[in-house]
Amino acid sequence: MSVHKYTDKVMDHFRNPRNVGSIENPDGYGKVGNPVCGDLMEIFLKIGKNDKGEDVIDDIKFRTFGCGSAVSTSSMVTEMAKGMTLDKAYDITRSDVAEELDGLPPIKMHCSNLAADALKAAINNYREGTKPEVEVVTSCQLDVRVILGVDEFKGKGVYTEVPNLEELREKRTLIVDTGDVSLELALKLTEYTGRVIVVTSAKEIPGTVEIVKKLKQSDVKIVQQSELNEIKGELDEVEKVVIHDFDEDENYELFVDAVVILDYRG
Amino acid sequence: MSVYLDYQAAKPVDPRVFEAMKPYFNEDFGNPSSLHNYGYHATNTLEESRRKVAEFINAPSPDNIIFTSGATESNNLGVIGAALRNQRKGNHIIMSEIEHISILNIGKFLERQGFRVSKVPVDRFGIINLNKLERLITDETILISVSTASNEIGSLQPVEEIGDIAQKKKIWFHSDAVASESTIPIDVEKVPFDLLTLSSNDIYGPRGIGALYLKKGVRVNPIIIGGGQEMGIRSGSENMPGIVGFAKAAEIMKTEINEEATRLKVLRDKLIREILKIPKSYLNGHPEKRTPNNANFRFDYIEGESLLLSLKDEKVEVATGSACSSKTLEPSHTLISCGLLHEEAHGSLLLTLGRYTEEKDIDKIVEVLPRIVRRLRILSPLTPSDLLKKLKEEEN
Repeated sequence: MSVHKYTDKVMDHFRNPRNVGSIENPDGYGKVGNPVCGDLMEIFLKIGKNDKGEDVIDDIKFRTFGCGSAVSTSSMVTEMAKGMTLDKAYDITRSDVAEELDGLPPIKMHCSNLAADALKAAINNYREGTKPEVEVVTSCQLDVRVILGVDEFKGKGVYTEVPNLEELREKRTLIVDTGDVSLELALKLTEYTGRVIVVTSAKEIPGTVEIVKKLKQSDVKIVQQSELNEIKGELDEVEKVVIHDFDEDENYELFVDAVVILDYRG
Repeated sequence: MSVYLDYQAAKPVDPRVFEAMKPYFNEDFGNPSSLHNYGYHATNTLEESRRKVAEFINAPSPDNIIFTSGATESNNLGVIGAALRNQRKGNHIIMSEIEHISILNIGKFLERQGFRVSKVPVDRFGIINLNKLERLITDETILISVSTASNEIGSLQPVEEIGDIAQKKKIWFHSDAVASESTIPIDVEKVPFDLLTLSSNDIYGPRGIGALYLKKGVRVNPIIIGGGQEMGIRSGSENMPGIVGFAKAAEIMKTEINEEATRLKVLRDKLIREILKIPKSYLNGHPEKRTPNNANFRFDYIEGESLLLSLKDEKVEVATGSACSSKTLEPSHTLISCGLLHEEAHGSLLLTLGRYTEEKDIDKIVEVLPRIVRRLRILSPLTPSDLLKKLKEEEN
């Protein structure tokens, strides 16, 4: 299995990753990958000048969610790039990183070797002169738009109001964020079921400061930057939903028993 | 020595089993099909072994047992054999969303052969929806295949109820019993199974041998054609050392199963109690209705292969439902069917205990895991900033 085929160098970088962390007010910031696929990397850059007046990478930090090779390639790329001129660092390729690590298992070459891409993204971010994105906390109201399946499954797992929470006991319930009332419902529902998911188009956990605090402490799962596209099922019962992730611009399915959309006007 | 907590993937052969097998490699090496003395001995041994395996599941007759090369073949013979046998009656087969991959892929194969396959969904604990099962049945339905327990999350399926439904509707019920074979006694006189898949390695016997139980009156079409061994249902010269080992393993398991299951449950419950003290950690599967040797966790913000590798460094050997450790790069279909998001399924950790697991093994993982989870969370961009701050303080 792939796990056994990691080189000593890969394992060394996995066990003792270099340059872990973030940089406050970075000059460049890059993020690639997708937690849905199992890999997400961020790279932070601090840029200075060398005696020739060229841009150089003074400091570089990374954070990674991913498998062994994802961590190792991130660590390696930061080690390679530190102190390099920006032009040279930009030329680091995926295979350069793999080579420095004495190779990666073939199955990991395409999926986990995103580190070089994250570095390029960070350099691009610096060169374009855009300030690294500052994430804004906003609660967002549901647009008036059509969610496929709402009418078909209304009363069969789709709720536009929930007068009796008992009906949702132990049900995997997806709640569409339609403002604080829906978030309060999510919190309340955790007393009835262990699985409450809130899908929100917001980038950060939405709601008032107090609700955000409570949500963070609760077991409510928040799916950010996403929207509910479709409700699916068989024999008049909700079985799953299709979620659209706009950050990644892709759709995926999630098994649920109930969907709550308060104030649906679609 | 490593701490081994992956008994669902492979179990060591019990030394008592290994001893029993030895003479059958080069002393009693006869082929039961031969008529001379070697053959005669082999026939006796074969039927004696068949009797022991039948007793293990309380089957009324040894003739109910067909030896195969293992659980995968038993599933193939049971499901494909039953489908082919009954194709004039109907072409519809029902299985659960969380069947073992060997069943799901048989379903895909049968679909290509013109059968229609429906999958019953499961609840958030991985237990099938009986009501839905009943409603999926049509006049065309010929077979229901639902395993006794999930090999990943250990969730126990309501097999008695499924059997009753199948009986009432005159549909055959096949079940893969592999995941619960070593911890939950099987009694085919109590639960109306029509076909049942058994594996030898899952009860500490050798690999390469298994069995399919067929209730009296249930016949399947053979899928391996040849000299007509195993009552014409499974051809090929019998794997005598394997059969003897399987029978010995079944004999031991029958006498020790209750005591062993009780012992493992105490250890497993301690494991669950201790691991769930880690913040943002969750148990996958049902809190009670699960095999006594199974624990399946998930940890927010981290990925399973990284967990596995870090535990390996501490000499603790485990499994994960993460895509990164699978051949297909897809996360566990079982966890997804329970309603987990991909990123949650990626962070899962599967621990299975067995005959040689001791309390010190549990103590070891309980000691090292919180530290590993903390280290990987500090590394992860998904960790929320307030938790990250707290973790960093703990680390120092």
